[in-house]
Amino acid sequence: MIETGYLQVLASAALALVALILTRMKTIPVEKEIAFGSVRAFVQLIAVGYALEFIFKTESIWLILLSVAVMLVVGAYTAGQRAEHYKNGFWIALISMGVGSLVTLGLMLILKIISIEARYIIPLSGMIISNSMNATAIAFNRIGSDLKANKLAIETALSLGKTWKEASRNFYRASVKAGMISILNFLKTVGLVALPGAMTGMILAGASPLDAVLIQLVVGYMLLLAVSISAVISVEMSIRKFFNSAQQFIG
Amino acid sequence: MSCNKTIILKTNNLTREISKNGSVVKTVDSITFEFNKGLIYNIVGPSGAGKSSFLRLLNRLDEPTGGDVTYYDKPISTYDPTELRKKISMLFQTPYLFPGTVRDNLNFCCPKSEVKDIDFHLKRVGLKAEYADKEADDLSVGEKQRVALARSLFQQPDILLLDEPTSALDPTSSRRIEELVLGLSGELCLTIIIVTHNPEQALRLGGKALLLVKGRLIESGEAREMLTKPASELGKKYIGKDLE
Repeated sequence: MIETGYLQVLASAALALVALILTRMKTIPVEKEIAFGSVRAFVQLIAVGYALEFIFKTESIWLILLSVAVMLVVGAYTAGQRAEHYKNGFWIALISMGVGSLVTLGLMLILKIISIEARYIIPLSGMIISNSMNATAIAFNRIGSDLKANKLAIETALSLGKTWKEASRNFYRASVKAGMISILNFLKTVGLVALPGAMTGMILAGASPLDAVLIQLVVGYMLLLAVSISAVISVEMSIRKFFNSAQQFIG
Repeated sequence: MSCNKTIILKTNNLTREISKNGSVVKTVDSITFEFNKGLIYNIVGPSGAGKSSFLRLLNRLDEPTGGDVTYYDKPISTYDPTELRKKISMLFQTPYLFPGTVRDNLNFCCPKSEVKDIDFHLKRVGLKAEYADKEADDLSVGEKQRVALARSLFQQPDILLLDEPTSALDPTSSRRIEELVLGLSGELCLTIIIVTHNPEQALRLGGKALLLVKGRLIESGEAREMLTKPASELGKKYIGKDLE
């Protein structure tokens, strides 16, 4: 394993510089974003590194919970922005991502796959929340645009005496599937197209590939459950915003 | 079939207000009217008169902000909306058929329909039995509208609400739908409430007519009389095509 210190990080910044030069030469207007993004990533990650060092040393349950809560709120805010067609996107995202994360982590603790230690809970929560955030954002976007674009189909079904659930069933299914598509693709291609993050990290850290594969499988199944729960809950909650108790489409 | 022409649907001060560009607009304004069984009612009026808005209140696709609608003397808000809409069925300007075959569409409301029922309903709207296995996407707009009509009839409604059902059709297909409407009203004792922007169509269909302008019911009566000798000034302007 190559030792990685600030010197190596500084050297790798040269790679970002090459990207900056290339895009500048081709007059692609992303110079500022590359420059700020690279510096911002450095500052954010170093800060997080120090924070995690501190939390791992203290093993305070409150600090672990606080870290998860911060990740959840930031993730829910980001996903909630995608709920363009209705209100309360943040709260729907917070509930769906929160339930997805808690159920998944809870089951992993009950099944003794992990223990309550900062080094498990924090990185796994980060993976769960970021994947759930993407699933929720995609599902939000899809259900809102699908329902708006298919008013005639929905009102035709309602006019034939169907309930709002029946009238929107196909759009519900398509939106949940859209939210899950990334994790489903991941499961199909894992190891064939790319070595995923957890596995790569372990291999780079010197672990045996077989051990890395086992961890990656745990991570894959964990993400599948979290994403499924978040996608289902976010679409279930969002779709209700488009109908009322009189089975009317109010979107 | 004998048809007892009793009152089936009533609107009482029916009003719907919506917010538009920061102000409140009445799309339907205090309409009181009685609809009888087995008759055809043509709702006419210029663009933006609130004809479709009025229709949508009758099967509770939209909620009124004032007044009410009664069906067999009971407010429609007391019925289960899904059951109500089976009895007060609605067809839209652009027919929507669900993905699949014509048979799938006819089965949409009644999944265990028998072949003979499907054949019967297709025949009723002037389509051959072979149409059952055609893909919905392969039909012309006129054929789609007829399948949509058959799909509604499958549920044995008491009232058919038709929102400009022929406006997207060519003249021949349009006439076919008109003939079907006329036949169904008499044969099934159906109350048919049809929105049309075309007074000539209302004259061909006959029955009753209601003239709406800016959400208000201006006048009503026998279609032939009202659309040839309107009593109101607004009615005269409308017939003289001076009200668009």
